[in-house]
Amino acid sequence: MAAGLTRVDRYAELIVQIGANVQPGQIVEVIARIEHAHVARAVARAAYRAGAVYVDVGYSDQHVRRAMIEHAAADVLSWTPPWLLERAKHFGDVNAAIVALVGDAEPELLADLPGDRVGMARMKALGEELTRQTNEGLNNWVVAGVPNDGWATQLFGTPDVDALWELVEFCVRLDEDDPVAAWREHVEMIGARARLLNDMRVDSLRYRGPGTDLTVGLLPESRWQGCESTTSVNGINYVANMPTEEVFTTPDRRRTQGTVRSTQPLVLGGQIVKGLEVRFEDGRIVDVRAEEGASMIEAELAIDESAPYLGEVALVDATSRVGQTGRVFYETLFDENASCHVAYGSAYAEAVEGGVIEGVNVSSVHTDFMIGGTDVEVDAVLHDGAVVPLLRDNVWQPER
Amino acid sequence: MAAIAPAIDERLEAYADLAVRVGANVQVGQTVFLTTQIEHAPLARALTRAAYRAGARYVDVRYRDDHVRHAMIELGPDEALTHSPEWMKQLYRAMEGGAQLWTTGEPEPELMNDLDGERVGRARMKEVVEIIREQMVQRSLNWSGVAYPSEGWATQIYGEPDVERLWEAVAFCTRLDEADPVQAWRDHMARLEGRGKVLTELQLDAVHYTGPGTDLTVGLNPNARWMSALFRTRDGIEYVPNMPTEEVFTTPDCRRAEGTIRSSRPLVLDGDIIEGLRLTVKDGKIVDVQADKGAGIVRGQLEIDDRAAYFGELALVDGTSRVGRTKTTFFDTLYDENATCHIAYGFGVPEVFDGDPGDGMNISGVHTDFMVGGPELAVDGITKDGTAIPILREDVWQLD
Repeated sequence: MAAGLTRVDRYAELIVQIGANVQPGQIVEVIARIEHAHVARAVARAAYRAGAVYVDVGYSDQHVRRAMIEHAAADVLSWTPPWLLERAKHFGDVNAAIVALVGDAEPELLADLPGDRVGMARMKALGEELTRQTNEGLNNWVVAGVPNDGWATQLFGTPDVDALWELVEFCVRLDEDDPVAAWREHVEMIGARARLLNDMRVDSLRYRGPGTDLTVGLLPESRWQGCESTTSVNGINYVANMPTEEVFTTPDRRRTQGTVRSTQPLVLGGQIVKGLEVRFEDGRIVDVRAEEGASMIEAELAIDESAPYLGEVALVDATSRVGQTGRVFYETLFDENASCHVAYGSAYAEAVEGGVIEGVNVSSVHTDFMIGGTDVEVDAVLHDGAVVPLLRDNVWQPER
Repeated sequence: MAAIAPAIDERLEAYADLAVRVGANVQVGQTVFLTTQIEHAPLARALTRAAYRAGARYVDVRYRDDHVRHAMIELGPDEALTHSPEWMKQLYRAMEGGAQLWTTGEPEPELMNDLDGERVGRARMKEVVEIIREQMVQRSLNWSGVAYPSEGWATQIYGEPDVERLWEAVAFCTRLDEADPVQAWRDHMARLEGRGKVLTELQLDAVHYTGPGTDLTVGLNPNARWMSALFRTRDGIEYVPNMPTEEVFTTPDCRRAEGTIRSSRPLVLDGDIIEGLRLTVKDGKIVDVQADKGAGIVRGQLEIDDRAAYFGELALVDGTSRVGRTKTTFFDTLYDENATCHIAYGFGVPEVFDGDPGDGMNISGVHTDFMVGGPELAVDGITKDGTAIPILREDVWQLD
């Protein structure tokens, strides 16, 4: 990484080099909110420096979305404008590198709108197209967070963006002298955990804790993944999330049983969901309760037939840099890396031998919620019935 | 938690309503395409709300970012400069039958100054421009542009970021200071329409400009009328494409122009300022470009295609212009061209041309207005028998 770069430029270099791993000659799509412009611009510069042939930055604006939710006809809410679908297809067809920026500048902007309309306001066809592209491994991509006033205010009560920058830099290892080397080491450590779990041949996971008694069945073909992914079309390695601390796999959508209580708040479509409790029967979510925001979850689960089934299960321990901050970030990218989580909705086909086979969930929804912490014990139940402790008091057990 | 809807700025909402109702004249059920810049977000959001209030089915907002463009011109390969993304061509084709809004008002007028002027001039999405041009010929969109008062723009005009002062100027120029702005616009457009009718009935053969450094004769086309900026789509939707507008204009016979012309005001082009522009014209074509500053930008533009160096528009404005009465150089074509007489090289005006475009009306991917008017400029109409009819003397309209 070149010396003398600003904080924003250093971050952009890491996003482009380690995250998306932009290749010379690639088209790069940047997905950002207008409040992310300072980082989006730096990413554009870094991508051109890495040899990008064209950088296409698409900005969205939550106030525009708010106006649509308030005024548009019901059938428009989930409509995908054909030109946006074409845009997404185009980036799939040309195997673009994709940088998606997150970090909500006004997390409560939609809080006063009817939850069912907010939940419906999702471009369904676009979601399906992006799921297809992810499953076919067409793109090298990364999701990264952008510190901004609103997000900082949510964390600290004041718009202390500098403090948020420092947290983000710690989480993405930009505090290291050589962040690129630090990331290579980290990717290797998480990769070793994934290999170990794969060798164990896990049949199901058991979670026990306050309000939680959950079993998640895996497929014989489920494969645990670390930080690094590889595109199927051109073999480019990339790190899809920055930060990332998880090993994850795709469960058998038919074999989730029991109750789970979320251990952290969740921000969904501009609204906050607190105290979420979900009950599963034969894989399907049959009951949703929450102290706040339950209607958002219910609306999402109604988007398609497969939404109420699990698509991802991920394990994170206390060595997580995100977890070490002791912070709730109110941003899934960070919070899911603080703690164990599951996601209802779409699965990652790359985490299954054979891709989208029977038992792998396919949906236009993918929402992670956090279920880990010091109070939650996680065990692996192996194919031979043996029970292996994975997490106790938030400490990873197999390496001990 | 108290839910807080976004604060509403009444003046901004009224301004947006005027742009939507009188400007683009958005129809119930229309899709609205808004092209804007991230620095114009407050106006973009107000326009979005106003469009939905007017009954728009869906409002598509595309934010551009000149910093990303700067990165492309500075660091991107040559092919990036003229690249038209496939999806953007789709988007523009999808605009057929819709309404379009755009915003102006450079937040950072000198942003591109450190770049190679020739590359700045070349950076154009050629194929997208083709599509837009065809839509203008087909008159398939009702569209309008309005300016957003920003700190950068105010600083450029006043030497200090006095946004409120700029707002007052903008409100005056767009008749937002009237008790009934919509009625004020109807009266104003009727008066300009009347001027266009008188000029058309004179059946002029040419227009002759004289003044310091200026002696230019431009031939007129018998198939072209004079009109005001009260446009109609082919489906009969009336709209006002520029707010403010003070001009009557025609498209000249691009084959007949002879002499020299000096620009009377600075011109902002692609973030650069061009001052003291002097053009020499022979057989309709601009053959020599001189300027105190920025001549390279104009020369680069004239080479974009083989018709860029021919005239496309002549416009007449007198001293009653509200823009002119502010005695302000706005460094923005939308405003400055309405302060005074101007000429455009490049694409003609299909709205005033009956017959096959190309037969005398210029067709090009460029359309750049530069200001030539002021008290020192005399404008005469030359009839077929060679008689000179005074149109403007010392900024006073001679034909009312």
